[in-house]
Amino acid sequence: MQIFLPIADVPVDLFVLLILGAAVGFLSGVFGIGGGFLMTPLLIFLGIPAAVAVATEANQIAASSFSGVLAHLKRRAVDFKMGNILVVGGLLGSAVGVEVFRIVKSYGQIDLFVSLCYILFLGSIGTLMFLESLSTIQRSRKSVNTFNHKKKHNWIHGLPFKTRFKSSNLYISAIPPVVIGFIIGILASIMGVGGGFILIPAMIYILGMPTKVVIGTSLYQITFITAFTTFMHATQNKTVDLLLALILIVGGVLGAQLGARVTVKLKAEEIRILLAIIVLLVCLKLALDLMMTPNDLFSITYSNES
Amino acid sequence: MRALIFSVIFIFSMSSFSLGAVISDIDKTDIELSTRFDGTSLLVFGALSPENDNTSLLVEVIGPSTSVDITKKVQIWGIWVNKKIAQFQDIPSFYKISISNPEHPILKEIEYQKLKSIFYDFLETNSTPEDDNGVEQYYHELTRLKKKLGKLSIFEEKINIIDKKLFSYKVTLPKKIHPGKYKIKMTLIDQQGIELSKSEQSVKVSKVGVQEFLSSNSKNNPVFYGLFSVIIALFLGFSAAQIFRWLYR
Repeated sequence: MQIFLPIADVPVDLFVLLILGAAVGFLSGVFGIGGGFLMTPLLIFLGIPAAVAVATEANQIAASSFSGVLAHLKRRAVDFKMGNILVVGGLLGSAVGVEVFRIVKSYGQIDLFVSLCYILFLGSIGTLMFLESLSTIQRSRKSVNTFNHKKKHNWIHGLPFKTRFKSSNLYISAIPPVVIGFIIGILASIMGVGGGFILIPAMIYILGMPTKVVIGTSLYQITFITAFTTFMHATQNKTVDLLLALILIVGGVLGAQLGARVTVKLKAEEIRILLAIIVLLVCLKLALDLMMTPNDLFSITYSNES
Repeated sequence: MRALIFSVIFIFSMSSFSLGAVISDIDKTDIELSTRFDGTSLLVFGALSPENDNTSLLVEVIGPSTSVDITKKVQIWGIWVNKKIAQFQDIPSFYKISISNPEHPILKEIEYQKLKSIFYDFLETNSTPEDDNGVEQYYHELTRLKKKLGKLSIFEEKINIIDKKLFSYKVTLPKKIHPGKYKIKMTLIDQQGIELSKSEQSVKVSKVGVQEFLSSNSKNNPVFYGLFSVIIALFLGFSAAQIFRWLYR
């Protein structure tokens, strides 16, 4: 069934969108990822303008992460103090990101910009994930897993503005969380992702947070950041397509519930290799689209709607 | 029904017509762009009193104006980048012209004059031609791309003429059209292309329902729209959490 998206200004098939939402939701349920970094490129492949795909995806993630954080709140698995500091950095990052987005958009190069950011991020993260899980598999075959998880005293502990994070049992400077939050805010606003794939490793390895509060706290921050990013994109760029977001939310919720209840008979490393391959394929498709000679060198765009 | 309207017009036309005149009507005056809009068509019909056998009827459908950029993809470091090469200010977003007599002697001339007065004259003067083809290249690309998008049609469709006195013409509109006022101009011309008589109708194309609510608020009340989008998303997230908690209790 064809429907016309009011802001994206393109006709799309409703069922294709629902299935897409459900498929990405399913993967996110299975892999425990947000899925924004898959959904935004897929929307672009469907012909939705990159600017709309990014802003709308932020709106969808606001829904899915809020839904997720509620469960963690009940289990008291959220470090509010850490979360709030991350949010402060995130709001700043988001404001900066949306402004950069607006400027690039005014030059008519936003599609290219978003694609390049994605190629860079998906390419590097996909490769890292692939190599790491490959070496983990090899290591586990030799069955000498000597991964030392002891907390180290690193450069983070030399920074000023130290404060105590009770839930995380940490006494560290507030600067690293602000900086990490800021980067997540930039990612959310420019790429339409929650940024969990950067945030969670950063919380564990840089901040040294205990794993039991990491997911809840990251969802807590992501909810705030994507909600704010949605608002900023709506006011600065007018690119949030609420109808598209609604369809994706419905599809995504159903898919994620299904995905979370499927027992995957795969080892963690194998799951990660699979995810890395998906990430690299999306990256490859984006890169090919930029490099292949287009069918039509010319195109027309409506510069100002009257 | 159509036959009845035709005959009524016919009877009236016989008494009040001077030579070389055209009168017309249209089967709808409003088109609603809902979320389910998938293109539509409308019927223009009327009567004409030909001066002689050598007159022809032109029907033009002219959509609301927009400004259009023509971009060309250029390769920079192996990547194809969009480069704006020309701009046309305030040209019809949709244009369709048809003629009752496809063998009209100066058809090519009419086509050129129409395209010139509708499109070509609105090329921004600061667009500098990049090669020897000059501005002709921009004209060519504009018409080619507009045709490709279904926004331009030149002498492709047929006008039904009955007994040299009545005409009917079905205008099809694609699924992606700009909202606004669409003018439909009927012009009776002679062999030299001189206008003998004119008649004009218009159709209002407007967004309705969800389509109208979202696109107008996004444009005119962005703060409200932004907050609304966030609240809806949070509400749905909350509902999903509640529903599934209840289901898997």
